[in-house]
Amino acid sequence: MDVAALIYAGEQTSTPWRFRLDELAWRDMVDMLKGDDLPFVGLWCDGADVHALFLPDGHPLAATLALEGGRYPALSPARVAASLYERAIYDLFGAEAMWAVDVRPLLDHDVWSAAPPLCAAPGRGGQRKGLVAFQPSDAMAAAKGRVEERGPATGDLAPPFYTRLVLSGTLVANAETQTGYAHRGIAARSRHARVEDVCRLSSRVAAGSSVAHQVAFCQAVENACNAQVGAEVALLRVALLEMERLFQHLYILAGMARLAGAQLVASHCMALREKLVAEAAPITGSRLLMDVCIPGGLSVRDATQMGDLCGRVYELGQKAYPLLVLLWREYPGLSALLGRVGRIQADDLERVGLDGPVARAAGWDCDGRRIMPAYDGLWRYTSGRQNGTAEDRALLLLDEMEESLRMLDLASARIGLNAGGTVPLSMQDGEGTGLVEGPWGGVLYWVRLAHGRVAEAFCRKPETSALLVFEQALPNHAAEDAALLACSLGMNAAALDG
Amino acid sequence: MGLIRAVMNTVFWKERQKRKPLGPRWPLLLFHVDTGGCGGCGMELQAMTCLPYDMQGAGFGFVNSPRSADVLLVTGALTRTMAPVLQAAWEAMPNPKGIISIGNCALDGGVFSENYAVMGGLERRVSVDLAITGCPPSPQEILNGLCSLLGSAAQGGKKETPSGG
Ligand code: SF4
Repeated sequence: MDVAALIYAGEQTSTPWRFRLDELAWRDMVDMLKGDDLPFVGLWCDGADVHALFLPDGHPLAATLALEGGRYPALSPARVAASLYERAIYDLFGAEAMWAVDVRPLLDHDVWSAAPPLCAAPGRGGQRKGLVAFQPSDAMAAAKGRVEERGPATGDLAPPFYTRLVLSGTLVANAETQTGYAHRGIAARSRHARVEDVCRLSSRVAAGSSVAHQVAFCQAVENACNAQVGAEVALLRVALLEMERLFQHLYILAGMARLAGAQLVASHCMALREKLVAEAAPITGSRLLMDVCIPGGLSVRDATQMGDLCGRVYELGQKAYPLLVLLWREYPGLSALLGRVGRIQADDLERVGLDGPVARAAGWDCDGRRIMPAYDGLWRYTSGRQNGTAEDRALLLLDEMEESLRMLDLASARIGLNAGGTVPLSMQDGEGTGLVEGPWGGVLYWVRLAHGRVAEAFCRKPETSALLVFEQALPNHAAEDAALLACSLGMNAAALDG
Repeated sequence: MGLIRAVMNTVFWKERQKRKPLGPRWPLLLFHVDTGGCGGCGMELQAMTCLPYDMQGAGFGFVNSPRSADVLLVTGALTRTMAPVLQAAWEAMPNPKGIISIGNCALDGGVFSENYAVMGGLERRVSVDLAITGCPPSPQEILNGLCSLLGSAAQGGKKETPSGG
């Protein structure tokens, strides 16, 4: 029996792909997962149950376990990525993961006004005043060497997190992060909330992946309602997703170039991005493509112009692209520097579940667009260098930009003057998932609808796993390369903290 | 947060003028703190530092230490975890100094209103010298706002792009 069969053997819930296990079966599942490659997506709690979601062959399969005395057997001994979810569940619900591999707080650092905020009867929160204390793991606490600290306010323009480095000479020997500074309580805000309000929130989980979050959330709601948007809306969403990928890849490439000291390359990337964003904003209504999707349809400012817009973005992008690639490849020292930073093996990425461009640049063939029907005839498999360094990632982002431009060109011919049209959703109680390939990897939403509202929502995003990869990759890097490494891995504290 | 009282008034400008005249060679130095937003306002600030916006020409520059900053630039809703960090950055800045909020959530929480983790925005806690609203405001709107402090119009006459989302 494999793990999937064990889950299917559980008690069927009202959701066809979710099964309730008893504690013994859950423990067996954890044991068997150690030798099974069932793709793990995420773990969440709703106060009464914990749910573990897997994605065999791209289809959702969830196991549910009732909390017993506020506890449940941890999944992290079998899936290391689960440890971040377990830590978040403890902070938010007070539910304890037994035999967890890491029990440090992730989001709550004793300053919240209620704790645990989402449990049935939250108590008064921590009374800490002043800066929060860093809580190291045992290994970190024992590490000897010069300590360097970064963040949470570095003066740069990215969301806040803290990194502690213990140096041996000039190189990092031990590294650990502390997150939670940007925790806004999105899970709490999504409970019993109106669908359109949660959609607006999904827009703002992480700027730069806004469309991915909106589309995944909308798909989850539509699936829960057994509704399907038309092919035109699906295509317009693909166009928005690819525009976002294009803009975000340019933003990240600019960031990597800047941190590597190649200012000229950085300004080229940002100037092109600005040109494209300025073209898109009057049509979409938002420079960062926020609030462009609603469940059942789209909410761009002028959907009839979207076909034209795709064509214009393609033309502008195509014109500037060859020079950008040339500049990137020929800029003195840039390739050499990036080639020395952040080499990561595909196996390590699979182990922690970091997909997206980071995984593809290391040779792990994973791309959610392969299983998204709306991409039929648009997406195609391409491959480039796969050595897993920051340079490979940069080159892959450049390749993916070219592919996004090609898809926008194809889409522009198909969209024409089509304005999409919205499907009126008849809200019904139920659960649904939606999966989208965002700029940094798979964004998945699970929602439970009840009484026409969102009862609970869970979001899986690549930035969770990126944190683990960042911490593991830091040793043996020069301390000054930490920011470059984080940028090349798509670290984003706003997304992670939620 | 009680200690933050912005003083970008006549005294600020007089004192600053004594130390260094305004202009591209002596820019007004900004220290950015993201106090817990979605990162969108930070991305627009990053865009403002690049072409075609002439931030330096307009007389502004970013610094990576509050000790050398004239103005604290705040984006994002104020989380309870970031409030003491913001306070520490403010205290580290030399006098005279000012504070500017960028985006809706830095001002009043925006979509991230007060809850167990978020205090809302700076409004009613701190007297801000300038609030540039939008979710996010565009780079041109931010630059125009900053320039309004200097009493000069933004450079370039760029066409406006929408904000509000
Ligand atoms: S104002 Fe809007 S764009 Fe800016 S950080 Fe807040 S949510 Fe994000």
